[in-house]
Amino acid sequence: MADTIEETTSKERNALDVPWVTLVLNDPVNLMSYVSYVFRSYFGYPAAEAERLMLQVHLTGRAVVATGSREEMERHVEAMHDYGLWATMGKADV
Amino acid sequence: MKAFIREHDGAISAELDRDEALLLQSLASQVSVLLREGNANDPAVIRMLPDAYPGDPASSAEFRRYTASGLIDRKVANADAVIVSLSAAIETGVVRLGSTEATAWLRSLTDIRLSLASRLGIEADDQGPSEDSVLQNLYDWLGFLQNSLVEAVDDRVAPADGDND
Repeated sequence: MADTIEETTSKERNALDVPWVTLVLNDPVNLMSYVSYVFRSYFGYPAAEAERLMLQVHLTGRAVVATGSREEMERHVEAMHDYGLWATMGKADV
Repeated sequence: MKAFIREHDGAISAELDRDEALLLQSLASQVSVLLREGNANDPAVIRMLPDAYPGDPASSAEFRRYTASGLIDRKVANADAVIVSLSAAIETGVVRLGSTEATAWLRSLTDIRLSLASRLGIEADDQGPSEDSVLQNLYDWLGFLQNSLVEAVDDRVAPADGDND
């Protein structure tokens, strides 16, 4: 009984240990000013960090804008879709 | 229509004529229809409700099953807010937005521009203008309008008056 509980707890911990990420991908439509505004107003990033992430999206095609549990990342991706940004999610190591 | 500006009383406004107001209402309404119809093969719909899990159709489908109806409802509500604020503007020649309306406008303008871009075949940053000059001009005008709205909204959250809300 005790072994089973420990095993389950261990498995859950391993699952939680693998972080997920929210990615914002570059698209030719969204304005740089708007993307920066979204990063500030939704994630609460300071202006300089929002600008850096926006430029990373624009120049390299994508940026990780959040890291955490799968459920959290699904909420973030849905929020980005509310804003009209092209957002996806995946495992942190992908 | 001129750019959105921040007025002294905190409201955001833009001058626009009747034809511009009617055109914007029509565009917002057309996007709502697209979303309500929900044609899964329409590139505009796909772009507004993109796959959350690239390369994983099953997880993307499940994500869509849980989120699409809420996303569509909120996008349609944003479009409705645009249409309502323009109804008043048709008479006065000025559209005035509070902060809630400005948020709805920013999102709805994005959905309208995404839809137009898919019709224009805009797929890359460095792409030249479309041969459809009417649609291209409309798209460019909406970009100008949205950029001015972002700047007007940012004007409010600037730290100058100590209001960080």
